Amino acid sequence: MIDRRVFRDIDWVLIGLALLNAAIGVIFIYSSSHFLPGNHHVRQSLWVLFSLAVLFVVLAVDYKVLTTYSPYFYLASLVVLVGMLLFARLVAHTKSWITLPFFQIQPSEVAKLAVILLLARIFSEYKKSTLSSNVAVQASLLVFTPVLLVAAQPDLGTAMTFFPILLAAFFLAGLKRRTVALLVVASLVVGFVGWNFGLRDYQKRRLTTLINPGQDPRGAGYHILQSKIAIGSGGLVGKGFGKGSQSQLRFLPARHTDFIFSVIGEEAGFAGVFFVLLSFFLMLARMFASASKSRDRAGVYIVFMASVLIAYQFLVNVMMIIGLFPVTGIPLPLLSYGGSSLLSNFIAIGLVVNVRMRRFANV
Amino acid sequence: MFKKDRIYEDLSLILLRVRIAFIVVGIFFSLLLMYYWKVQVLNHQKYWRMSEANRLRERALPAPRGVITDRSGRIILADNAAGFKVSIIRENIKNYARTCRDVARLLGISEDDLRARIDKYTDTAAFEPIVVKDGLTTEEVARIEARRSDFPELEMGIEPRRSYPFGSSTAHVLGYLQEISPDEIRSGSGRDRRMGDMIGRTGIERQYEETLRGEEGRLLEVVDSLGRIRGEVAREEPKRGGSVRLTLDFDLQKKAEEVLEGKEGAVVVLDPKNGDVLALASYPNFDPVRFINRFTPEEWTSLVGDPNFPLENRAIRGLYSPGSIFKIVMALAGLDSGTVNPETSYFCGGAQEIYGAVRSCWFKPGHGSMNLTNAIKNSCNIYFYNLGQRMGIVPIASYSRMLGLGRKTGIDIPGEKEGLVPDPDWKKKATGAVWYRGETISIAIGQGPLLVTPLQIAGMTACVANRGIPVFPRLAAGEGVPGTLGERIPLKTEAFESVIRGMWMSVNAGGTGRGAQVEGFDVCGKTGSTQWISLERAEKLARQGREVRKTHSWFSGFAPMSDPKIVVTVLVEFGGSGGATAAPLAGRIFDLYRKKNDR
Repeated sequence: MIDRRVFRDIDWVLIGLALLNAAIGVIFIYSSSHFLPGNHHVRQSLWVLFSLAVLFVVLAVDYKVLTTYSPYFYLASLVVLVGMLLFARLVAHTKSWITLPFFQIQPSEVAKLAVILLLARIFSEYKKSTLSSNVAVQASLLVFTPVLLVAAQPDLGTAMTFFPILLAAFFLAGLKRRTVALLVVASLVVGFVGWNFGLRDYQKRRLTTLINPGQDPRGAGYHILQSKIAIGSGGLVGKGFGKGSQSQLRFLPARHTDFIFSVIGEEAGFAGVFFVLLSFFLMLARMFASASKSRDRAGVYIVFMASVLIAYQFLVNVMMIIGLFPVTGIPLPLLSYGGSSLLSNFIAIGLVVNVRMRRFANV
Repeated sequence: MFKKDRIYEDLSLILLRVRIAFIVVGIFFSLLLMYYWKVQVLNHQKYWRMSEANRLRERALPAPRGVITDRSGRIILADNAAGFKVSIIRENIKNYARTCRDVARLLGISEDDLRARIDKYTDTAAFEPIVVKDGLTTEEVARIEARRSDFPELEMGIEPRRSYPFGSSTAHVLGYLQEISPDEIRSGSGRDRRMGDMIGRTGIERQYEETLRGEEGRLLEVVDSLGRIRGEVAREEPKRGGSVRLTLDFDLQKKAEEVLEGKEGAVVVLDPKNGDVLALASYPNFDPVRFINRFTPEEWTSLVGDPNFPLENRAIRGLYSPGSIFKIVMALAGLDSGTVNPETSYFCGGAQEIYGAVRSCWFKPGHGSMNLTNAIKNSCNIYFYNLGQRMGIVPIASYSRMLGLGRKTGIDIPGEKEGLVPDPDWKKKATGAVWYRGETISIAIGQGPLLVTPLQIAGMTACVANRGIPVFPRLAAGEGVPGTLGERIPLKTEAFESVIRGMWMSVNAGGTGRGAQVEGFDVCGKTGSTQWISLERAEKLARQGREVRKTHSWFSGFAPMSDPKIVVTVLVEFGGSGGATAAPLAGRIFDLYRKKNDR
């Protein structure tokens, strides 16, 4: 059953770095929301503890077992996502949330992990050096199904985070030039059709204001502009903890969630930005490096997809808040307020640790 | 047990791809770090300034307006009280439709009015508060405060607000305030004015706007993105406006309004020695406070559509035929020009044919043979028809102008009308037709196109009382207000004395003005009853089913005869004959003046 030896190889460094980032998050959640009702920093701390506990539960089960059962996880999450569309109440204009006593959870966050495990299962048996169109189509269909369900909620930001998982898998399987060309054409077609038929006006405005945030400072460009002002006005060392006028005076939108990094930029300045980027980069380096400690192909896929998922969200958020990417509502992994995102990222890290600690294990 | 091929399968290719991907991630991190360096360190100044501007808002602190007092300086006619108002800040509106609906419900105003009000200001800056309701009651203030967090677009303000302790009393002198219009702000006519400011629209409030308004203060405060105030950085207190002391005698003013109550008309009381306006009343009047509380459209329509024109200051803007009052001018002209002397007599048989038309006297049996003083005393038309016929229109017009008719008196409130002294040149220009001799006969008894304001008649009376020294009426008292008396007009002193004797007899010897008699006060005066009414106005009144009375009732006089201290002019629209209606009202004012100064 559980081999005692594997626990000697738990990657405490990675878990420590994840906790460090989560702790920075709690600190700035406090700074940006202590004047609001809701005790967000306390709730976030509880979520960190809960997510850590879940992480250890994930460690207890061999990832091979998880990949074996992944079709069931996958089907279960599809059922939940369909149920959401049918039965969920609208919260903040979307059906992304299941409201439970005391908290809400966002099943789409957890669905990503099922997709990672399912793709790992498929690609673990795929040993050619380049991707075949058969597998590509099969994998694409499996990913597009939950993407459409999440996009229909509508939660475009979260839906977009499924694609880096798929692309990561394709990249590992080996992309031919023809495939790359096909992907480019496909994304252009999707983009064109989406722009003309799929996107809502507010989503289009977010894209156009990316190009010119000043065109409507009180409208769609407002968030980007206020966030840039916050970051820029922070300077080299920041305005001091709890002293950022942009965040304390509430000019920043979604201060403790999607725009937490703007608060860090304003109150801790470039120094704080540098520190968070560094600690996050070290954590990602540790995660990517775990791939080479994997005992098999499935392990490499799990580690890689989980790492890319977190790296993608982090980079998109950090680009978004400074106006280099459209405002899509992607939280900063581990730092932003929000239990579901925190839980899903801790589980993803748990999967990486799981793979690494079982490099010598028997099957 | 060990399946070596599965554990040690060749992963080198995919591990290479992992490393490539990681390098890409690393490149992204480096580029981002550089971009953050650019924004945070290289462009720091720019964003720092933007964040400072974000949190600091400058706000004007309105200055209390200066007070307006009566001539004693003790009775305050216009004061300041604390007023609550609620404004909407457009840039904080999240959902326009919902805001309009909910705010209208919260404030108990109609949604359409609210929209109309906000839409009026669409091209002013979005952060400027638009006053949507003021003069709030305590309950309204409490209700709005309780729901502040639901309405980040609303802003409550407390500020000094004009109050008029005596309500509609002296309203026509004081005038009223109204909110400055966006057009005025744009045109720059309102120097450093902002939305929501009240400015004087009429009367003293407008005339002395620059003195009264004071200097507004400034408040620099920290606000959050919802416009909530988080602290104060600097404050410059407003300076109260300068006060204005009027020449009005509040007792006389009250009396003047009292005698007019229930009528339409005007009373002007002057001090002939210096032009001080002791009372100036026009009735009906209005409550100036209602202009500050902002009218509902219905209130406004009913006020401006009132057939009695309560907003019109009849004393300075009402144009009337002078009627027999004009006989004073005629008599002076006749004597001074030598056309008649005091003993020249004409025979009044009740009617006389002149230029082929039969002209009648108001006294049908006829006055018999009359000299000038008796003609004034009895207001005999026949005498003045003959005088007019002998003089001709040109000298009549010229003497009229000399005595102040046909031009503004220059009183210090805006809107005064000039009236009209007709002559052949005027008629040629106005109608293209030539002057008919018969028109001169009408002018001779103050009818025809001749038009005067009650204030002009008061001024003319003061000039007669001063034996030729004209006055320039003034409402603001003060040392060193120059030129309240004019240059003596070149008329023979005996002419004045004869006319004054006629006026004295009119009041004290059983003449038409006897209603104005005051025991021991030697009132001299002249009545007038005009037969002229504007067609338009008669129709308007008739449409409303009101009785159309035909004559306006005039009295104008001064007292005492030898050393005049007070001039009183009364006009009552459709009041019937001057002797019956206006003279007794003037008598009550003379009486009060005498008692007041008879300690």
